[in-house]
Amino acid sequence: MILRALRSCYSVLLLLAAWELFARSGMVPRTLLPPVSLVLQRTAIALATDTFVADLATTLFRLLAGLALAVGLGIALGVISAQTRAGRAIFEPLVRVLGPLPKIALFPVLLLTLGFDNTPRIVLVLIDAIFPVMLAAHYAARAVDEKLIWSARAAGTSPTGCVLRVILPAAMPQILTGIRVAAVIACVVVFLSEMVQPGDGLGDQMIRAARAFRSVDMFVPIVVISGLGFILDTLLALVRRRALGWAG
Amino acid sequence: MIRLDRVSKTYTRAGGGEPVRALSEISADIADGAFVTIVGPSGCGKSTLLYIVGGFVPASGGAVLVEGKPIAGPGPDRGPVFQEFALFPWKTVRQNIRFGLAEQNVPRAEADRRVDELLDLVHLRQYAALYPKELSGGMKQRVAIARTLAYRPRTLLMDEPFGALDAHTRAKLQDELLQIWERERKTVLFITHGVDEAVYLSDRILVMSAAPGAIKADIAVDLPRPRRREELLRHPRYQELVIEIGRMMDTTA
Repeated sequence: MILRALRSCYSVLLLLAAWELFARSGMVPRTLLPPVSLVLQRTAIALATDTFVADLATTLFRLLAGLALAVGLGIALGVISAQTRAGRAIFEPLVRVLGPLPKIALFPVLLLTLGFDNTPRIVLVLIDAIFPVMLAAHYAARAVDEKLIWSARAAGTSPTGCVLRVILPAAMPQILTGIRVAAVIACVVVFLSEMVQPGDGLGDQMIRAARAFRSVDMFVPIVVISGLGFILDTLLALVRRRALGWAG
Repeated sequence: MIRLDRVSKTYTRAGGGEPVRALSEISADIADGAFVTIVGPSGCGKSTLLYIVGGFVPASGGAVLVEGKPIAGPGPDRGPVFQEFALFPWKTVRQNIRFGLAEQNVPRAEADRRVDELLDLVHLRQYAALYPKELSGGMKQRVAIARTLAYRPRTLLMDEPFGALDAHTRAKLQDELLQIWERERKTVLFITHGVDEAVYLSDRILVMSAAPGAIKADIAVDLPRPRRREELLRHPRYQELVIEIGRMMDTTA
């Protein structure tokens, strides 16, 4: 069991080993890149510290709230816009213009209008993470075999019923792939928002350690957010295996 | 009765240019309980015609009348079966067959009974818990037929239903379809490009020509029922019909 888990992520272990060797080789000053063994030790200590755990919880809350909103709204907007010609005509150019926009540039505006607490950060995660979900939902909904829809319509399903009980489940495998991309983006963006405007959270921990030249402490939040992302993606992969086994 | 009253279909091309006439003023009456097959070369619009009767695709002109009333879209009185099976891949065999019953709010116990009955009818009882991807082509089409029969349509609209199957499975499903039809006496509108299949199954064959699609001949299949494959293949009239219709197809293609 443990062996299998190790084998499934041995490339990660290789990366950590390379980090350790490189940091100990003397090619870079330790103050810039401390060995990973030290960072992991410090991480273990941090995870037993109340203040650090509180910051972790804050970041996790913002991350999950933003991601949940992105998933809900992204699926709804993507699928609904795919249903009519007008919806498709509005959706495509809008997404192509807004997609490449660096949302972090809007963060100062969000801070000033929504306050300096959780809300602007959750909204930032939402507007960044919604794109992969929305795109996946939209194009998957458009690609659903029309004969599936016809089969349901002939059986007496209403157009709305078709969206909920045929198009949505048929599009689910692609939507879940979009959600996995969104989860990665959410991790990056929530951390970034806490770095740009510190106050609390993992990004704040990192910035404060960096400003004080505590280089081992600086790497702790980085390791933790990457661990969070890993756990999130593993859970989503599990959902796929359990609920979407039919898609093979 | 289903009446096709000067049904026509014209496609406008996406990039502009001349619109394409796919079907030209097709009229026909399909009697209740009849097994009517439309044969024609590929591209003659026979599937489009079936989709129009199903209410899935709008006609550009003319009307489809069911019991004298023009259709306003798909309805459970006309159940489709497609060549590509079109099963819901996220549902098991049982859940697929149950779909129409659930949509029409049939009480649970009654729906269960109906699904069991259909599983027996199409010989899939022991595969009820499998997903479509775990089934062979022939089994998938049996599920699709059962799913459509479940909500008791008066008419089956079958769009080359056995076209994706190997010869052996096709023959088997043809026989099973005939048994079901002889028992339930549904109206069947069947599309195929296989002349022998058309003659074997039908009471009546409409031969279509292409570009634009039009009905070129209306042939009554005066062969005895119930039909047994071996007897029929030796029947001189069967051979005559296959040759005659085959020749028509050659000159329309």
